[in-house]
Amino acid sequence: MDMHPRIRDEPRSEFDLVPPNESELTAGVRIEPGKSYGFFTDTTVCIGCKACEVACKEWNNLPADNLGLTGQSYDNTGSLSANTWRHVAFVEKAGSSGVRDNAQQAFQSGWLMMSDVCKHCHNAPCLEACPTGALFKTEFDTVVVQQDICNGCGYCVPACPFGVVDINTLDGKAHKCTLCYDRLKGGLEPACAKSCPTDSIQFGELSDLHARAHQRVEHLHGLGVDSAYLYGVPGGPGATGGIGHLNAFFLLTEQPEVYNLPVAPTRPATRIVPSLLSGLAAVAGLALVAIGLFSKRA
Amino acid sequence: MPDQVILQDPDDAPEGPSAAHDTMPDGSWQGPTYYRRSQLKAAPFGNWVVGGYIFCAGLAGASALISAIAGFSRLPQAAATVRRGRYLALLGPLSAVLLIYDLHTPKRFYNMLRIAKPTSPMSIGTWILMSFSGFACLGAAAQFLSDRVPGLGWLRRAARVTDVPTAVAGAGLSAYTASLLSATSTPLWAAAPRSLAVRFGASSVAAGAASLSLGERRGATRRALDAITVAALSAELAATLASHGTYRRKGVAEALDGGWGQVETIGATALGAALPLGLQIASLATARRKPGVLSSVASIAVLAGSLLLRVSILSAGDISAERPGINFRFSRPENLP
Repeated sequence: MDMHPRIRDEPRSEFDLVPPNESELTAGVRIEPGKSYGFFTDTTVCIGCKACEVACKEWNNLPADNLGLTGQSYDNTGSLSANTWRHVAFVEKAGSSGVRDNAQQAFQSGWLMMSDVCKHCHNAPCLEACPTGALFKTEFDTVVVQQDICNGCGYCVPACPFGVVDINTLDGKAHKCTLCYDRLKGGLEPACAKSCPTDSIQFGELSDLHARAHQRVEHLHGLGVDSAYLYGVPGGPGATGGIGHLNAFFLLTEQPEVYNLPVAPTRPATRIVPSLLSGLAAVAGLALVAIGLFSKRA
Repeated sequence: MPDQVILQDPDDAPEGPSAAHDTMPDGSWQGPTYYRRSQLKAAPFGNWVVGGYIFCAGLAGASALISAIAGFSRLPQAAATVRRGRYLALLGPLSAVLLIYDLHTPKRFYNMLRIAKPTSPMSIGTWILMSFSGFACLGAAAQFLSDRVPGLGWLRRAARVTDVPTAVAGAGLSAYTASLLSATSTPLWAAAPRSLAVRFGASSVAAGAASLSLGERRGATRRALDAITVAALSAELAATLASHGTYRRKGVAEALDGGWGQVETIGATALGAALPLGLQIASLATARRKPGVLSSVASIAVLAGSLLLRVSILSAGDISAERPGINFRFSRPENLP
């Protein structure tokens, strides 16, 4: 196995002895301000272990949402929320009609798993909607809510076309994945990507990830998995309607709705000008009617 | 019945009742869903609180606009109408309390004033509301002092100066709230940005004219105000028809099938717009000089309808965000701008 030469310099792996630029050892990328970083989530190698969910909760000190069973396959998390920033979706393809299909395909054995996360959109609708500036673009091209600014207006929640951002009613602030902003500042790979045992979640510089992802799709096509495609790369599904690209993008093998993703989301801010102009035109027209009526009676 | 796994390749769908799981139970979506879970989150707004704000702000903005026009049009005895308009405009700054109450961290409301952001209708609206409130308070204070304090009659001219910016900000205040809803991913709000804006703007003007008409003593002025209401309600009803057509075309009309849809159709549109439109036309056609009870009933119906319109659109929007069938259909490529 290939090992980074610097690993020999850092024999100990202890929390207070984190080597500088540790991400070079774990993700093969040096984290520098001014560059674009993101996640490439390859769902074909996800095994549904939920290590990403656990690592995220541990690093970010997030409480559990639900200690019950949903009855929806192995997904007892349900959805992304203010306290859940990674969510592994489980889709059972075989036997979905209640009749167990004994003929299994070799590929993924009829299972689909996907670790969902905030997409860190290029033109992020939540950020564009935020009236306080609490949501901002970081120096790593990620989207973060500043907890000391957010006043809990909740406007980012309906703005998000992916249903990611959520208000925590206990502290009255909006929360979502920060792409481990604190870890990136310290030269560490985000917790979910570091914990992923199959590299289904890959962290890196966006251009590298795009190249890697396109290569992976070609490889899968070569293996006969013709349904593999990328969701959230420029020009693809999920990156429509002015949103640009998604810094956290996915390799999928079924249509997006299967994973609870919209095929063609739009950037809500594009509707401001038509709406404001129509509304003002209506009010101005009625004001002209009023001018006419009042001057007739004067 | 527990939710079942919905995914299925349509070609492989077996015969029999189990195949029905491929769709939403109400037939609203022919395709896979993720355990019938919504892909969007509904806005965490208090719909009566925010709906009440949109109603009050629209009423305040439009009545400031109409009374300013009355004041500048050399209408005889317009002073009383203008005075009522300046006091009604105070509903704008007062309704800001509703907005602050609806924040999940109200003590930080001032963070809205850190920035001005053209991509956020909430930020645009904050500044419209702030400027409107400032001018409305100045105008109302000048009016009050000139009426009550001897020797301060000259302040009436100062109030006249503030009428212009109050009217301009009032036009913005009565119209921007539709863009607040349309610039989200909630399907019902986002589906028809133009006709929703005309609906909200016209409803604001109707509510402003109706509230001024309720207080008006002079017959001719009241008839003019009622005629404005007629024009505004006609525009609102036309925009309602247009928006419902767009909702059907973009596949979000089902959000209006339930109880809130009834409120929108029967409460806001039939009883709150069509009925008062008929009453006002009847009142204008019959009464020779001074409109009477017909006009008053119509004005009250307009006010109730204007409030119900906002609350029902907010609530039906939440339904559209909570139903995977509606939000998947809205985010199909054919609905891209």
